[in-house]
Amino acid sequence: MTMFHFLNCAILTFGPHAVYYSATPLSEYDTLGTSIKTALVYLITALIKLVCLATFLKVSESDSFDPYQELLKALIGFIDVAGIYFALTQLTHRNISQNHKFQAVGLGWAFADAVLHRLAPLWVGARGLEFTWDYILQGLEANANLVLCISLAALGSLMWLRKNKPKTLIPIIYACAGIVATMPSITSYLRRSMGWHFPEVVGFEIFTSLLMALISWQLFSACQRPST
Amino acid sequence: MAARREIIESLYSMISLVFILVACVEICDAATVVDVYRLIQYDIAGEQFGSRLASLNHHATSLLSHNTDLSRTVVILPVRDLNLTFIKECIGQKKPLGGLLLMLPQIFSSENKDGVEDDPNSEKELIRIQLTELERLLIHANIRYPVYFAFEDDDIDAVLADVKRNDATGQPATATTGGYKLVVSVPEPRKVASPAITNIQGWLPGLKADGDSNQLPTIAIVASYDTFGAAPALSVGSDSNGSGVVALLEIARLFSLLYSNPKTRGRYNLLFGLTSGGPYNYNGTHKWLRSFDQRLRENIEYAICLNSIGSSGNDLWLHVSKPPENANIKQIFDGFSNVAEELGLKVGLKHKKINISNPRVAWEHEQFSRLRVTAATLSKLPAAPELLESTGGLSDNRHFTSEAAVAQTVSLVAESLARHVYGQQGRNIKVFEENSSLAVQPSYIQSWLHLLSTTPRVAPFLSKNDPFIMALKKELADHTVEVNVQHEVLDGIFTFYDSTNAKLHIYQVASVTFDLLVLLVLGSYLIVLFSFLVITTRGLDDLISLFRRPPSRKVKTA
Repeated sequence: MTMFHFLNCAILTFGPHAVYYSATPLSEYDTLGTSIKTALVYLITALIKLVCLATFLKVSESDSFDPYQELLKALIGFIDVAGIYFALTQLTHRNISQNHKFQAVGLGWAFADAVLHRLAPLWVGARGLEFTWDYILQGLEANANLVLCISLAALGSLMWLRKNKPKTLIPIIYACAGIVATMPSITSYLRRSMGWHFPEVVGFEIFTSLLMALISWQLFSACQRPST
Repeated sequence: MAARREIIESLYSMISLVFILVACVEICDAATVVDVYRLIQYDIAGEQFGSRLASLNHHATSLLSHNTDLSRTVVILPVRDLNLTFIKECIGQKKPLGGLLLMLPQIFSSENKDGVEDDPNSEKELIRIQLTELERLLIHANIRYPVYFAFEDDDIDAVLADVKRNDATGQPATATTGGYKLVVSVPEPRKVASPAITNIQGWLPGLKADGDSNQLPTIAIVASYDTFGAAPALSVGSDSNGSGVVALLEIARLFSLLYSNPKTRGRYNLLFGLTSGGPYNYNGTHKWLRSFDQRLRENIEYAICLNSIGSSGNDLWLHVSKPPENANIKQIFDGFSNVAEELGLKVGLKHKKINISNPRVAWEHEQFSRLRVTAATLSKLPAAPELLESTGGLSDNRHFTSEAAVAQTVSLVAESLARHVYGQQGRNIKVFEENSSLAVQPSYIQSWLHLLSTTPRVAPFLSKNDPFIMALKKELADHTVEVNVQHEVLDGIFTFYDSTNAKLHIYQVASVTFDLLVLLVLGSYLIVLFSFLVITTRGLDDLISLFRRPPSRKVKTA
């Protein structure tokens, strides 16, 4: 019965990644290699991030929101952006269109994140007898994160790969990328300083990720229009 | 090849290590963890009594109704509002339950020494009577499921309230409706191998007159210190027989003051004995007396056994097995009643004949009488208790034991003893005058009574070198000379089983139907997501063709 709950949570956490891969043209063009490479890049990035966090961040005893520390954390969070930049531009991909490349990168990135951050707590916690909503919420959070990662990758590909984009859209693109990249800090602020509970934070994450996805989709299609 | 195999083998060990780690991880994380105390499990001559199981893993319910199947649920019952007749029926009919968790009010906790003031006395007394009844019922029943005791606290009260609310809505909790799951994971109870009993004795030798070759006569003061109760880990027995032990220690202290000075040393040896095995027909006393040599035993002029003297009230009883007309008994009784009058107490004499063929020994002095040693038991109990009753169980704790009563009994015994030792019978003198250096010390009584009221002392679960036994030995050694500790094995007919206390994990669990529902929702979510993604990225036609393809293939193969 508890195994059942674990399976449910695992389906919620990892299912959308698989569905995304199989439902979109990604599977037709066989972009699994790209996703795996991105996942490896994510691993390395996560290691670098950890080292940075360990070096620069003080361990705070209290659970309060310290602006300076949070700023530092946000800056370290931008290593993620560097990682995505690397994955998008430096990796040698097989011949796939930009359109699919960013999706593969975003998917690989989100999946690696989900495996690294959520699999262990899920295995430990969701199999226990005690029932909590936490793991279902965590799965929802993983879904939001997937959407967010793909939007970030989309914006990144707009920034770094597409040369002939309308001038007027450039600041918007950068602003959106900035917002998406600082999302972890924003949620951390909401949780610590505003005292939001986990369900509220997850709701906020889902809402904003959908919003950002919509915006980046619009931006992407707007940029695509002149070229076609 | 060999190197490769080695690598593979090391890989296997790594994998197994990971699996072991993963398996270890799942033990913890319950909503609430509570200390619980198991009902005693024991055999008398092969006949089984008490709770025969220890491990528990069932849903909780608060109802004990006849029509529902309770064999897979744990019934939580607060002792506060317990329906005794109901329980009696339940145990009498051998109704199968998953388990029984009895909630004791906080005042029965040994840690709670100051007492809960908001409880009115009458209510406390009422619960106590009920608990005594319940204990008697549980001890003498053979119960085929685990029975645990726990103390009421905020966590478990909240759980109980939740469970009650669930029950009130009509559906008792089972695996399909969710609720709370109570888990106690302990190994199967094992027999306690050769339960040990430990007797401690100390001497205060009297002063021999010069050239007197005869042995001095001896007076023995005896109290049994161990307990027996429904929950061994909660059987502290403040009154039975903590009060007797405290009184004995205080009497030893008082006489050690007198005997330390040659001028005031009496012409009697005083023998102090703390015996074990009291609930089991005073088995320890029996063994202790057998270990004496004949001469020593004959030198004992009389023995005073102290038993359950801590309850409030002014009536004391001197229980004897020789007829009251006997000269020795008359002398002891007169000594006591004279002093009692001065102290405002009342001592009555109760004679109960010994039936040698009956193995039951109701009073400690009967063990002496069986060996033809004059002895009497001083107690506040008016009648001889049955086997395994009034042995310091659940309801016998600090709140129902009065220090003042113990102090009074100490003065009574010490004073009458002193008059006998110094040959001052019938005279109105006070040796242990208040405010003198020989006064009875209430603080001493209080601190020892506190220690005894927080130490469970069921003999089979006390090891030979238990700190408590060491403390008793040390205390007796401070007041007497020649302290001896005698280790014996409890006689055959009793068998005890371990795991007397455990941790109860309370988990809030979801039901299978809930999990199924979640699965359904998730499945439809993923299908919707899939369709949405296919439509947006490839178009609706693709989605439709996705579903069309398989039948077309089937047609081809056909």
